[in-house]
Amino acid sequence: MAKLPVSLTINGDEHDLLIEPRKTLLAVLRDTIGLTGTKEGCSTGDCGACTVIVDGKAVTSCMVLGVTASGKEITTIEGLASDGELHPVQQAFIETGGYQCGFCTPGFIMASKALIDENPDRTEEEFRYALGGNICRCTGYTKILEAILQAAEEVRSTS
Amino acid sequence: MSEHSVVGQKVTRVDAVEKVTGAAQYGADVHPAGMLYGKIVRSKQAHANILSIDTSEAEKLPGVRAIITQDDVPSGRRVFATDKVLYLGEPLAAVAATDPDIAEEAAELIKIEYEVLPVVQDVTEAIKPSAPRFHGDDTKDGPNRREISTQIRKLSRDKENDHSDEISKLEAELENYPDEVYYNISAESHSDAGDVEKGFAESDVVVEDTYIIPRVHQTYMEPHVSVASADSSGKITVWASTQGPFAIRSGIAGTLGIPLTQINVIGTTMGGGFGGRFGVIITHIPAVLLSQKTGRPVRVQMTREEEFTDGRPAPGCVIKLKTGATNDGRILAREALAFWDSGSVSGASIGSTIRVRGVYKIPNLKVDAYGVHTNKSGTAAYRAPGAPQAIFAGESQLDEIAERIGMDPVKFRLINMREEGDPVPAGSNEPKVGYKETLEAVADAAGWWDREADENQGWGVAVGDWTNGCGPGGVYVSVHEDGSARIFHGSMDITGTDTAISQIIAEILTVPYESVTIRRGDTDSAPYSTGSGGSVVTFTMGNTAKLAAEDAHRRILELASERLNTNMDDLELKDGAVHVVSAEQPKSISLGELAAYSLSTTGGPIVGKGSFARQASTPALAAQIAKVEVDPGTGRTRVLKLVASQDVGFAINPMAVEGQIEGGTVQGYAWAMMEEMQYDENGNVNPGFVDYRVPTSADLPTVESVIVEVPAPNGPYGAKGVGEPPITPTLATMANAVKDAIGIRITELPIKPEKVVDALKGNGHSA
Repeated sequence: MAKLPVSLTINGDEHDLLIEPRKTLLAVLRDTIGLTGTKEGCSTGDCGACTVIVDGKAVTSCMVLGVTASGKEITTIEGLASDGELHPVQQAFIETGGYQCGFCTPGFIMASKALIDENPDRTEEEFRYALGGNICRCTGYTKILEAILQAAEEVRSTS
Repeated sequence: MSEHSVVGQKVTRVDAVEKVTGAAQYGADVHPAGMLYGKIVRSKQAHANILSIDTSEAEKLPGVRAIITQDDVPSGRRVFATDKVLYLGEPLAAVAATDPDIAEEAAELIKIEYEVLPVVQDVTEAIKPSAPRFHGDDTKDGPNRREISTQIRKLSRDKENDHSDEISKLEAELENYPDEVYYNISAESHSDAGDVEKGFAESDVVVEDTYIIPRVHQTYMEPHVSVASADSSGKITVWASTQGPFAIRSGIAGTLGIPLTQINVIGTTMGGGFGGRFGVIITHIPAVLLSQKTGRPVRVQMTREEEFTDGRPAPGCVIKLKTGATNDGRILAREALAFWDSGSVSGASIGSTIRVRGVYKIPNLKVDAYGVHTNKSGTAAYRAPGAPQAIFAGESQLDEIAERIGMDPVKFRLINMREEGDPVPAGSNEPKVGYKETLEAVADAAGWWDREADENQGWGVAVGDWTNGCGPGGVYVSVHEDGSARIFHGSMDITGTDTAISQIIAEILTVPYESVTIRRGDTDSAPYSTGSGGSVVTFTMGNTAKLAAEDAHRRILELASERLNTNMDDLELKDGAVHVVSAEQPKSISLGELAAYSLSTTGGPIVGKGSFARQASTPALAAQIAKVEVDPGTGRTRVLKLVASQDVGFAINPMAVEGQIEGGTVQGYAWAMMEEMQYDENGNVNPGFVDYRVPTSADLPTVESVIVEVPAPNGPYGAKGVGEPPITPTLATMANAVKDAIGIRITELPIKPEKVVDALKGNGHSA
């Protein structure tokens, strides 16, 4: 299949790539770039494991074709910590025990970050619904909710 | 204050940073150079004869490197179907290509001609003589015929007396049960204690019902995946997301007929298992065969759709249950007849039907269980395999009895619960377990005793029991010159077990938890370890770790005795250093100094070894209470409160234990209210998350967990396995709460809104 030129900014690095139009952004990240922190849980946009942030918005990267992401800024789980410091959301997931097997965790962390960036003042109930696009099978969500609330509080208090 | 400094504490897990930064390597993250992508070619029919498989078009597709069918399995062991398929999604061939999309395209180009056969998906249909048959001689007698046949056999064996009259009478009696010849039976299991007929006769109240529990998928978030690499010397390396690398090694060796040590299995970080990631599963063998054929590493990864059509989910079942009790609340008898849907192969946790006995003194018990073939994939373990199904029936029916005799459901359970030394029906004697403590704890925490309910609201309670497994394991611990300790073992981390092992080692070596690190070996390097499932890891590996640390502790005191020129009995290891106990001459030496000193001794470095295989484990109880509100218009049930208590023996890491309770309870909630793999004559019809809904954070409120600690005599620090029990009572907890809210008993799961609306309509309510 003919490949098309694509320019992506991923975690601050620019990548000029030639990719098949049928490849999803998820496939580009994992197979072409080798950033495997973003996970594939369903490939139908229903589980949220592949959530990344594209131009500030959380998207399921299995539902985006790589070619349509050309020119966009993409942040993946690998790009979240800065200067060796974990992001408050990552820190909160550790402290609350908001992860178990960890497979859904990158997606949850990216979705949480986008939600907190957008509005850190959401109530628990609002975060509960806002995270409805991400599936976790281990935790029963109790500690994930604790994590996002703790991170939102941290972001509020430092901004 | 606790007598321990590291165990019993909420600590950060050892894998915390790698899990929140995307650095943890799961199965599909393994990408050796030159890797090809495999794809399994699957049946598009639920039951059919295979007339032909034509791979010629697929072979021509650029990028295709190999296509294999059963003809490519040198040992002849069945990996792919040849003449017949028994379910939609059954593997027929596999493709390896340079790109995953090419592999998928090639799989579509393989032409398969089918001759479609009749399909049966319902166990109650599959046992009838009219059902299509799957495997040869698979007819079994039902309970009454079985009893009569046993008597006939017994009489026939007595050659000294003439029993021909009795025998012909019994043979005539068999004719009374024509429907009790069951077809398509894959397995059977029977147990009894006392005399149920007598028990029912003495009962004031007898309730009988049929409970239907659906097949559900474990739904670990990482679909099955294996990467295999066969080198030219014949050595095979397999990266697998698995609960048990050693079982995969022996499974591959057995299937391919090659020596065990020719295979090295590397367990990757596991994206959930819940029992579904045991042994050789769908992807391992095709990956190995494709790698052998191409000489390149091959990854075979299942899609979520393949998970639903060809996963190995938890079996559904139909349980006919009858319970008798006295008006003063004593359960006298219980009888179960269960049909478990084992799909195309045998198995299906049928032995767990015995769990209808619960934790109660039931003097008369009879359990007959059958596994039944249908046109579905086979089944596997799912968190306390078989228990949620049996306990759903048992605990639902208990509430019906409690209602008839007008007794509070918690009180009814408390007065029937077994105590230490009581006989377990069809079992041995009960050890000390916190049954009552756990139920009382959840009742207190939930506010059961002064509970209130508005219109359409209801409360439900149930308990579920489970006993952790136990298996072999080995652990090494080394102490280094900087005073740190390094653990080496071969058991897969199942959400926090590496952390528990590290805590135990730190506790015994009296070093900070942060100075202990843990490494897992592959099957080539690590000591044998049992699979991580059956709630075994903390119990087994915890005991193993304890032995290893105690072994190192001995060596440490030996070295200190030499170095300090003091009798070993006068030495104590405390706060990471060995101290002379006598106060007159305060002397001490740090672990780091001892480790450095050890390098120039005859005895050598500090290496502790622990090896453990078996100890009696102690049952655990999970008790739960839910408060719900049912909308009579839409039939939707909203959970207002869900409280879960559990006797965990001792919580080595309370945060991880809470996580297990919360997660298991939500899985139980989902089985009760949402999840169901649906099948028709074409096979599974809901192979995705849109039609097979699992809970999200929006579906239910926070689960409140309550930890109860009644120590297990043989557990490390009294710990019991905690992973499985929390799923066992939730199905009944929810059904009992819905019953309390709407006054109607729903006996078929899941309790979806439409079922509630139908139930209300049937009772004269208008929806």
